[in-house]
Amino acid sequence: MSVSSSIVSIDPLLCTGCRRCAEVCPVDAIVGTLHQPQTIDTERCVMCGQCVLRCSAFASPFDETISDIPAIRKERGLAEDDTSTLFAAHFRVDKGSVSSMLADTEKVSMVQCAPAVRSSIAEEFGLAPGTLTPGQLAAALRRLGFDLVYDTIFAADVTIMEEASELLERLESGTNLPMFTSCCPGWVRYMETAWGDQLSHLSSCKSPQQMAGALFKSYGAEIAGKQPEQIASVAVMPCTAKKFEAGRPEMQAAGVPDVDAVLTVTELADMLKRKGIQLPSLPEEEFDTPLGLYSGAGTIFGASGGVMEAALRTAIAVTTGKEVDESGVTFTKTEEGISRATIEVAGKTVRAVIVSGLAHAAKLLEDVRAGNADFDFMEVMCCTGGCVAGGGQPKLLPHINLQDAIQRRRESLHVHDKALPVRASHRNPSVTALYDNYLEKPLGHRSHTLLHTTYGKAAGGHE
Amino acid sequence: MPHRLNPFILATASKCIGCRACELACAAAHVEGGVSVGSLQAPLSPRLYLTCVGEMRVPVGCRHCEDAPCAAVCPNAAIYRTDRGVQVDKSRCVGCKTCIVTCPVGAMEMGQIWENGKPVMRRVANENSSEGSEMEPALLASKCDLCKDRAGGPACVEACPEQALALIYPDAIKRRRNIQAALALKGTGARAGEVL
Repeated sequence: MSVSSSIVSIDPLLCTGCRRCAEVCPVDAIVGTLHQPQTIDTERCVMCGQCVLRCSAFASPFDETISDIPAIRKERGLAEDDTSTLFAAHFRVDKGSVSSMLADTEKVSMVQCAPAVRSSIAEEFGLAPGTLTPGQLAAALRRLGFDLVYDTIFAADVTIMEEASELLERLESGTNLPMFTSCCPGWVRYMETAWGDQLSHLSSCKSPQQMAGALFKSYGAEIAGKQPEQIASVAVMPCTAKKFEAGRPEMQAAGVPDVDAVLTVTELADMLKRKGIQLPSLPEEEFDTPLGLYSGAGTIFGASGGVMEAALRTAIAVTTGKEVDESGVTFTKTEEGISRATIEVAGKTVRAVIVSGLAHAAKLLEDVRAGNADFDFMEVMCCTGGCVAGGGQPKLLPHINLQDAIQRRRESLHVHDKALPVRASHRNPSVTALYDNYLEKPLGHRSHTLLHTTYGKAAGGHE
Repeated sequence: MPHRLNPFILATASKCIGCRACELACAAAHVEGGVSVGSLQAPLSPRLYLTCVGEMRVPVGCRHCEDAPCAAVCPNAAIYRTDRGVQVDKSRCVGCKTCIVTCPVGAMEMGQIWENGKPVMRRVANENSSEGSEMEPALLASKCDLCKDRAGGPACVEACPEQALALIYPDAIKRRRNIQAALALKGTGARAGEVL
């Protein structure tokens, strides 16, 4: 196994063995003794990238023990003139493959970006944490050369349509409860590696990234008058596990990968700078329709608790006919990383749990395994705080208060939600049109083919 | 109160875990940029150096010597003593490296200097070039400046997760030790009639 093929790895030439990464690894996958280079236990690793954010062991130009920096760059697949700082813990870089896709004039390039990207990418251009730049992000992606600038948030709205329907169906039939969200690939991987006997509780929904990719190469291809294989599908994510998810062999609804390449926030920022695109000084532009139109509900997917709130807004409307901008449900923190609320939906009492940080999920899963679960629906985000804290987010300098930055990114997503004209997924006109013109109904035949999957350890083997 | 002796950054080897956060923070504090590694507008050039010897890890940096040998040997008077430590005037440095070989702790380096997002260049003779010369980044004397222009004080001290680094004032420490020793001596003395 070469270093560059792994999604997340630690370079033994740069690792000083400080083990600070082990402090933030939610699954104890960092193996090694103090002062010795560490390795990653790929059987446990969920590829969340928290070790990458934490690592400060960089290739100093004055450390003679780090002799061949050009060789390290080459091994990581970086361009010869790439001057980005090398750290021991790193993720697979896909800038090169995206550049090739953009240069391929035979293909129509479609890009999506996750909600949390617009609340953090400005940090890479010198602005304060949490600076909100959705319009400039769309403009920047267009200037980088993408033919169609779509949005993962549109697919988050579709996820709500599918997942809320699935939850109501499971509540009705009483099977596979409690139901777990499946939008976080670190969480899904954890279920597969550590709780393989409990996978039936996961929602069968693909994540918003994969739903978007599958729709690009079906509905989007139809609109563009192209075949699925003529489309280059790129995702910009605050996450390293999304790279793994995109490569899963079962995520190929049209016989080709739903998503061809995933860039992190830091990779996109670097590509923009190398093309001289200064994101903060760009005019605000719109995302392309129809797959780039989004609601406030989908926007808050990027902050922990957001999927739950988005689902509740739609569930309340569907079951009571009452349209609300906010669910009004308040979750109470009961333990570190765990919040709970009880809600009445369709005449049933639904006990809901939000887990922020993978390390807090185990005790709830023990209850599920023992048949003692005291909840019906659980949202889990691997990274504490949600995708705003993901491993593909800007790597903050050692003296910067990480918790404060994460909180600012969360707040900016909530500000964005409040400012949007449509704040519930089922009221997104592009979502309505998608169902009217193409999918027919949530959980329908086409939805099952394109938007749902089966999870399992064998399905997505770690390289 | 003005200090009689230069302050310096003292590293405690027994606390250091070798994470390089000090080097990263130091390098970042000396270039333009924002809160993230990606926002920095120049390559990282730290001014203290994590040194690994066997199991030991400790960053080594300038002691701001009272009789600074680097300043004494600089042929261009680019290194000078101030009331905020020994400082380098890059505009006078020619990169002769005498300071490097003279420094007893290896605190000096020759680093690239970046201004306005570009490295400061130097002309190097090259007979194969049409101009007879070509430009390349200049390497100039670089060492700890105690983050004299940084509001929060030395970045390395702030960044260390193990509190292994401290900005210390040797004269203040000496005075404090004197007082502690005096208090410890309070009860001592010759017994009546005894000659020590």
